[in-house]
Amino acid sequence: MTVRDPKQWRLLETGLRRAAENFAIDRALLESHQAGTSPHTLRFLRFHPSALLGFHQNVEQELNLDYIRAHDIDIQRRLTGGGAIYFAPEHLGWELFLDKAVLGTADMTVIARRICEAAAAGLSSLGVDARFRPRNDIEVDGRKISGTGGAFDGDSILYQGTVLVAFDVERMLRVLRIPAEKLSDKAIASAGERVVSLQGLLGSPPALDTVRQALATAFGQAFGALFETESQLNPAELPLYEDALAEIDCNDWIYQRNRPETEAPMREAIHRCRGGTLRCGVVLDEPRQRLNQVWITGDFFAAPRRLVVDLESALRNTALVDLERNVGRFFDGYPVQMMMLGPDDFAAAIRSAVASVPEPVDG
Amino acid sequence: MQACNGCEFIGTLYYDPEFQIWVRREQNGSLTVGMTDISQTVAGKILHVRVRRPGTRRPAGKPVATVESGKWAGPVPNYFDCVIIEGNPAVLADPPLLNADPYGAWISRVEPTLGADLALADFLTGETAFAGYCERVRNEGIQCERRTG
Repeated sequence: MTVRDPKQWRLLETGLRRAAENFAIDRALLESHQAGTSPHTLRFLRFHPSALLGFHQNVEQELNLDYIRAHDIDIQRRLTGGGAIYFAPEHLGWELFLDKAVLGTADMTVIARRICEAAAAGLSSLGVDARFRPRNDIEVDGRKISGTGGAFDGDSILYQGTVLVAFDVERMLRVLRIPAEKLSDKAIASAGERVVSLQGLLGSPPALDTVRQALATAFGQAFGALFETESQLNPAELPLYEDALAEIDCNDWIYQRNRPETEAPMREAIHRCRGGTLRCGVVLDEPRQRLNQVWITGDFFAAPRRLVVDLESALRNTALVDLERNVGRFFDGYPVQMMMLGPDDFAAAIRSAVASVPEPVDG
Repeated sequence: MQACNGCEFIGTLYYDPEFQIWVRREQNGSLTVGMTDISQTVAGKILHVRVRRPGTRRPAGKPVATVESGKWAGPVPNYFDCVIIEGNPAVLADPPLLNADPYGAWISRVEPTLGADLALADFLTGETAFAGYCERVRNEGIQCERRTG
């Protein structure tokens, strides 16, 4: 049985590392926490340039491998769920290792919200208006500044997030497998409207230590915790780290899921209607007839600005058969102003993309 | 079928002490494993399921399967030494089945290395299990719901 002080946490700073080392530490800490041999922990981490897959994602379906190899970028698989991301040295990672008793609930949605609200409060103390966006993002004025995800093992949880201290939008787009159309100057500008860094908001990037301090203070206040700073794993964690590193620092681990690109082709279409032009891209999981991802850009009027991002997010992993119903459901609960444009136009644009000829797969 | 706070319960199945998984004894000595209604509710809509390869031996504590819902990933807990026979192809193809039909949509069939009796020695069943199941539901304020779409 674990005897752990719910209010005395460890603040662990593990520095700039390879992705395999960072995730071996994740695994060691989660396993050790579940065994009762690790304290509750707030960890800060950084990565050498890395493309990081969600736990269940397929490598070739998510990443632009040619670009990644040409630019010496690491690939690794996270313990946590969610989508692929590009992590650069100028981004700061934060992680919490806690148990459900500290959080007072087993409800995963509530846990994610409580942690994200605390992280948002920390970022806001730096002078930006950061807010939690359900389900897992932190945004400033509709633009994402921190993405998050979690892993659990019994009663122990690992919840992690990124902070874009500075940000190279083009590089992010080139690392991820997204349609060529999205790499045009206009599309890069459009992506830049959806994601924002502290540097972009504040004019210059704050010192990493300032960001760490802001987050630690906010987590401490939100959960009533005091911190003791460490820079090394404890004796119970070290052997677990070595075992984990041996298992994940290899292609067998990274490529354990690698259904081919051809099973999830990218398709694009342009839908013209009275309200304007909608350009739509989709990645369709053909065997499952499920939309892995949807992108919408184009020339039309819809407010608020975040409408499109929220719609894309709501439609991720939608079964094709449920498309119209899910689009309808989204707009039912969403305050929106559109000019000569309706929910049906979005559904029609997506249907056009689904019905189009897939883009050829390189190589 | 019995229920607490909308969380369904089947008295003939076996449950771990936290009521995270259910286990059904098959006539050939194998065991079928799935997630309880409590687990699928707490997890939310399940988007990915992975079951280890058939023939893999997994000791107690090492998961047979992992699931992902929202942006959470984690193991389906495993309490006994076993060898994997198969994952449920229907669930692997359509993971949200675990939400829609948690007791019909089994996850894996396994061969318990030391036999079904020993594997299930610490599991609960029948009225004792139902009492514990309801206690967890009430203590954690869980209200079960079925997700579709």
